[in-house]
Amino acid sequence: MPAAGLKITMNEKPAGKEYVLDVLKERAKELNCLYLVEELLSRRKLSLSEIFGRIVNIIPSGLRFPDVCKARLVYEKNSYQTTGFRSSSWMFSSDIKIEEKAVGKVEVCYLSNVPRTEEGVFLEREQKLIKTIAGRIGQTVLHRKMDQILKEWDSAKKELSETEDTSREWKIIVDLLNRTDQGMLLHICRKMINYLFWSGVEEAAGVLHKIGSKSIESFESGEVNAPSLRKPLEDIVIISEKTFKIASKHLSDSEIVLRVKKWIQEEKYNFLIRTVDRVDASLSEIIDALSRYRNIFENQSISYSPTERWLKVALIHRFLSNDLDFINIAKQYIEVQDFCRIADKMIYPPGSKGKLGGKSTGLFFGQQILDKTAAQFPILKSVKTPKTWYITADEMTEFLHHNNLEELKEQKYKELYEIRIDYPNIIQLMKNASFTPGIIKSLALALDDFGERPLIVRSSSLLEDRMGAAFSGKYKSLFLSNQGSKQQRLEALTDAIIEVYSSKFCPDSIQYRSERGLLDFPEEMGIMIQEVVGTQIGDYYMPLYAGIAFSSNEFRWSPRIRREDGLLRIVPGLGTRAVDRLSDDFPVLISPGQPELRTNTVPEEIKHYSPGKIDLINLKTNSFETVDVRAFIRKHGDEIPEIHNLVSIYRDNQILKPSKLNIDFENDDLVVTFDGLISKTPLVKLVSRILKTLQEKMGTPIDIEFASDGKDFYLLQCRAQSSGAASSAAPIPKDITDSDMLFTAKKYISNGRIDNISHIVYVDPDAYNKISRKEEYVNTGKIVGLLNSILPKRQFILMGPGRWGSRGDIRLGVPVSYSDINNTAALIEIARKKSGYVPELSFGTHFFQDLVEADIRYLPLYPDEKDIVFNEMFFSGRENILEKVLPDYASYSDIVKVIDVPKTSRGKILKILMNADLSEAVGFLGSPSAAVPGRQEPEDYGEPKIKDEFWRWRYHMAKCIASRIDPKRFGVQGFYVFGSTNNTTAGPASDIDILIHFRGNKSQRKDLEQWLEGWSICLAELNYLKTGYSAKELLDLHIVTDEDIKNKTSYAVKIGAVTDPAHPLELKKDSEK
Amino acid sequence: MSDNRYNPYETAQAQFDVIAGMLELESGIRELLRRPLREYHFTIPVRMDNGEVKVFQGFRVQHNDARGPAKGGIRFHPEETADTVRALAMWMTWKCSVVDIPLGGGKGGVICDPRSLTDREQERLCRGWIRQISKDIGPNRDVPAPDVMTSAKHMLWMLDEFETINGERLPGVITGKPVGMGGSLGRKEATGFGVIYTLREALKELNLKPENMTASIQGFGNVAQHAVQLFRELGGTVSAISCWDHKDCNSCTYVKKDGINPKELCEITDPYGGIDKEKAADMNYQVLPGDEWINQDVDILIPAALENQITASNMQNISKRVKVIAEGANGPTTPAADKIISEKGIFVIPDFLANAGGVTCSYFEQVQSNMNYFWEKEEVLEKLDTKMTSAYKAVSGLDRKRKLYMRDAAYVIAINRVAEAVSARGWA
Repeated sequence: MPAAGLKITMNEKPAGKEYVLDVLKERAKELNCLYLVEELLSRRKLSLSEIFGRIVNIIPSGLRFPDVCKARLVYEKNSYQTTGFRSSSWMFSSDIKIEEKAVGKVEVCYLSNVPRTEEGVFLEREQKLIKTIAGRIGQTVLHRKMDQILKEWDSAKKELSETEDTSREWKIIVDLLNRTDQGMLLHICRKMINYLFWSGVEEAAGVLHKIGSKSIESFESGEVNAPSLRKPLEDIVIISEKTFKIASKHLSDSEIVLRVKKWIQEEKYNFLIRTVDRVDASLSEIIDALSRYRNIFENQSISYSPTERWLKVALIHRFLSNDLDFINIAKQYIEVQDFCRIADKMIYPPGSKGKLGGKSTGLFFGQQILDKTAAQFPILKSVKTPKTWYITADEMTEFLHHNNLEELKEQKYKELYEIRIDYPNIIQLMKNASFTPGIIKSLALALDDFGERPLIVRSSSLLEDRMGAAFSGKYKSLFLSNQGSKQQRLEALTDAIIEVYSSKFCPDSIQYRSERGLLDFPEEMGIMIQEVVGTQIGDYYMPLYAGIAFSSNEFRWSPRIRREDGLLRIVPGLGTRAVDRLSDDFPVLISPGQPELRTNTVPEEIKHYSPGKIDLINLKTNSFETVDVRAFIRKHGDEIPEIHNLVSIYRDNQILKPSKLNIDFENDDLVVTFDGLISKTPLVKLVSRILKTLQEKMGTPIDIEFASDGKDFYLLQCRAQSSGAASSAAPIPKDITDSDMLFTAKKYISNGRIDNISHIVYVDPDAYNKISRKEEYVNTGKIVGLLNSILPKRQFILMGPGRWGSRGDIRLGVPVSYSDINNTAALIEIARKKSGYVPELSFGTHFFQDLVEADIRYLPLYPDEKDIVFNEMFFSGRENILEKVLPDYASYSDIVKVIDVPKTSRGKILKILMNADLSEAVGFLGSPSAAVPGRQEPEDYGEPKIKDEFWRWRYHMAKCIASRIDPKRFGVQGFYVFGSTNNTTAGPASDIDILIHFRGNKSQRKDLEQWLEGWSICLAELNYLKTGYSAKELLDLHIVTDEDIKNKTSYAVKIGAVTDPAHPLELKKDSEK
Repeated sequence: MSDNRYNPYETAQAQFDVIAGMLELESGIRELLRRPLREYHFTIPVRMDNGEVKVFQGFRVQHNDARGPAKGGIRFHPEETADTVRALAMWMTWKCSVVDIPLGGGKGGVICDPRSLTDREQERLCRGWIRQISKDIGPNRDVPAPDVMTSAKHMLWMLDEFETINGERLPGVITGKPVGMGGSLGRKEATGFGVIYTLREALKELNLKPENMTASIQGFGNVAQHAVQLFRELGGTVSAISCWDHKDCNSCTYVKKDGINPKELCEITDPYGGIDKEKAADMNYQVLPGDEWINQDVDILIPAALENQITASNMQNISKRVKVIAEGANGPTTPAADKIISEKGIFVIPDFLANAGGVTCSYFEQVQSNMNYFWEKEEVLEKLDTKMTSAYKAVSGLDRKRKLYMRDAAYVIAINRVAEAVSARGWA
């Protein structure tokens, strides 16, 4: 819209309130005038002269002194003017042009002298207004001409079809063009002759000269250095006669019609092509061109043509992405008009070339695909997108420039600790910076468009959501309640945008980029300002439900569910709780391809694994809140639309679907199940169709975010499916030696990789099967629970027969509850053939949702099937350290094996790679730090480089401390390090486990503790600067005495222990000794 | 399959053999009671949602119905075995007998994984099960109920199929129905109240006054909550409860020496029974590790949560003050702990007596369904009190008369009653 163009040259001057008010009043007048003109021009029923007559009366209202202002419009030979118009010395005029040719003008004049400003009698803005009006008139006239042509053509066609004389159709067109637009006719003739010539029609060459094209002869005689002579044009009528005479001889009538029609259309958007083609064209020029284009082509589809395709691709390049793969797909679904729709809602700095950024691109593209596919699948027609405004990515650069903050650009190359120290300052620095007035204007315009609806400000950076790259959740998204006065809302909005901008300098995101080798990418951040879908309930604003859906299901709870059945995570209220894994709250999971197969079937479990909290926006306190879902429903149940479709009643150990009127919000035990929504509404079908369509068209698994206000389904985001590096398909190496291979699997595989397993807990299926007393089963479960609490978290796996955690019959699988396994990296169920049949596995169903939320991988093994490797020798043959770890349960060594992998495998560790695309998984021994064999170092951004600096630094510091401890002064006999620092698994949040063998007295002990406390606090601070993980102290100190060591009590067992023994460090050398 | 692997049926038979030896039962009776009277194994074809037919294996075992129609649950389990069902059916016979309700023991099941079945498929499976067994069950033959992975929903499908086949309303054929659909009031309270009814009688016999008694309870679920409620109504004090915290994946014990207030705790309890630790601390509750419930200095311990909670090792630490253990949960005490308990002279109310309030209420549901007249809640609880009290008295009477350990006494009474019925009928 021209409205967006208004701000570009807006030239504000800092001044008092009154001045600002005056300026604003003027802008309002101008806008109003423009809208009135625009409205008149769009009234197709009025004749041009009627419109012009009215326009001249409107124009003065847009100027500063309407009372003494008069206007005149000259078009071709006619003139329209307000009464009293006369030439004066205070005049301004602008030409009306069609196809760059002046056909008239718009003039304004003041009858008497008016106060003059620096800009002259007519403000710069006023001049622009007149120019814009003249421009729009020109476009409208052209448009009408085209319309006329098409109309006459259509009626002629109709007539023709009645008389069945098709040969006349093109003649009518030519005749028409001759009368109305000779320029166009010449253009068509030129194209036709060229076409004929290149089709091999010799006669055409003769005409070719006449219309000035370079003749073919000049090429045949070789390229000459002198310019070819320009030949005078013959009369256009003669040329066209000649041209079409030849054409009719060689081409069928219908082909001529087809060609002519196409060329006419192409000619119509020439201006757009010219603009887009210019490398230096700014976004505003393109947007202007687009809006002209839209005015001409409203509701018209353009037939296939290379020009159209070229234009499309050029625009995709401009707005969306340079990625060739993306363009290749995008061009099939995006039309030129589609860009017109977002052009209105773009905010950009002057001269912007900026892109929209990943998130915006994804949503825009997703919506276009669904729109274009809706003809085939009508259900897709119901998908909406919320009202969205876009800030181009280069605005951030402009913002930094405007505030002299360019120095921040180098931020990413600083040391991480510097970045971390700087970050709070940067936020403040940026929050105190300001946007250019132009952007503020546009934002204000956006706010007017949104009204007082809550908003979400989302980052849309160039790196985010690129096809195939996983870069999610690193930048901020902020909710705004958007309540209060316009000024307050505007301030909140700019504040939020700046905060999102500043997350580009957040140490975590820089570290993330650095780990993936993306640091040198010129990251820019666009912004998406989106209306929050929802409805007001009490003081709160929320979507009825929202969630995230994956086209590829990596968490299948039944063998009947296929990967392509997809996965839907849905929660009441804002979708934040579905997007994040919270581990203590659960979204409702549905596989859209198999909606009837639910994760939980027992009523108590359905209740347990239901959403317990809800995220919403409190309009009163203007804040984002998390509240208890049951309390919320109890209080507001009556106000929530479609509540009976969201909840079920838990009564008498049944989950009951309520009908509309029979919910007692006060007393019923309500559980959020979405049962009504799933069974009674087309939601699941719709999501399933969306996922299938987008996956098919985009050629990759995708995920979407969605929300509903109870009436409509809104698509909020769409991108290539990413669930983090740990759950992308792992390439399966083919060169693993037999001795390193532990197991393979080919059934029910999901994606993922685990490559840091130091311990295996293996419950021997045969031995378990032979247990003769119930107590032994119970104890096996207990042992697993104990190992779970002892072994290094997420670095061991549990393997065992049958159905883990099975209730009812403990022979079927190890009797454990979730708390007995919650530290494992993976749960592996083994189905060994028993007397001729293979038992069914549980798929982790007994704690399925717990596993999903904690990201514990699940893998079923079928060792007895064909072509499956299961290295039983390894599991039964390697040293079993159970006896040493849990001496009380030594007698269970036949049943439970605990294998210290690096110790028994010459330092190698267990890696598990799972690839659902190939339906293959392998577990094998590999070296800890080296890349997976047979695999190239990642070129993509899949996997973070292995980090060993955390333990190295800790180990180094521990050594430092030890070397400074004066044994005499503190009564220290020995200094040991154990735990993650010692076994090289320390992460950024790990503490340093220190064990001190102490022989001193009380006061020495106090001294020692104080001395170490200083170290501890200091190290914690250093660690914070390095990693961002804050803790009060970093040392976890354990002091043991001779007695402890003798009795092996407390941590003394660590000295010389079997697993993870404490490692002694050298103390300060006693110089006196 | 190895011969010496754990087999619940063999375990149940071995247990029976011990008691039968004590009772010196005749060999014919022993032979009969060691095994089920009748077993039905059948196939159930089910048309799946995708049009395929899948055939499931179903069971019903009627262990003994000398004292009345067989009673017992239906389990849906992917690796159900006939032996498991046999063992569970036998236990049902003893359980009904110990509370002296006129019912026998049965159990049934289907080998299936309900998690891989849609609701519609499960409905067809339930109806299929009834079609195969309908002529062999009935309000006066065998009365199924919900069990592992089956719930009221399945019972109503089964009831409907049975009634359709028989052409009449026969709500007494199945229990576990919701209130208003042939279910009984008082079901929620039944188990927890039952525990306290027997405890009350035990204290009477031990000449202890409830108002002087302090108890520590493991669990804060349905059973525990109602036990706390009734014990306090009797004047007793509950100084500690423990419960599971889903967030932290561990359990906690909440202690208030002068007595916890279940009402205020319920207010800070999430719907899954987890208590908010911080709020509890604010209310002056001491928050201790989950195992601490057993170490409290109290007179009474009530394990009302999980199996295998009282073990030989943690028995060592219990307070000398403990006089009674009332087993609200199933199998909370390991055999090794049993030995120590009996050595210490602590009085045990064994699980299948103490928590028999549930099965007694199922019996009441069946009675009410058969006469199509449903009692008020007070009436149900009153009748429950009567039943539990007399059941307790019979067991403890034997315990005192014969100097038996309470757990053995309960089995002796239960098995003897069945043996007498069998012999009176002239079966053996």
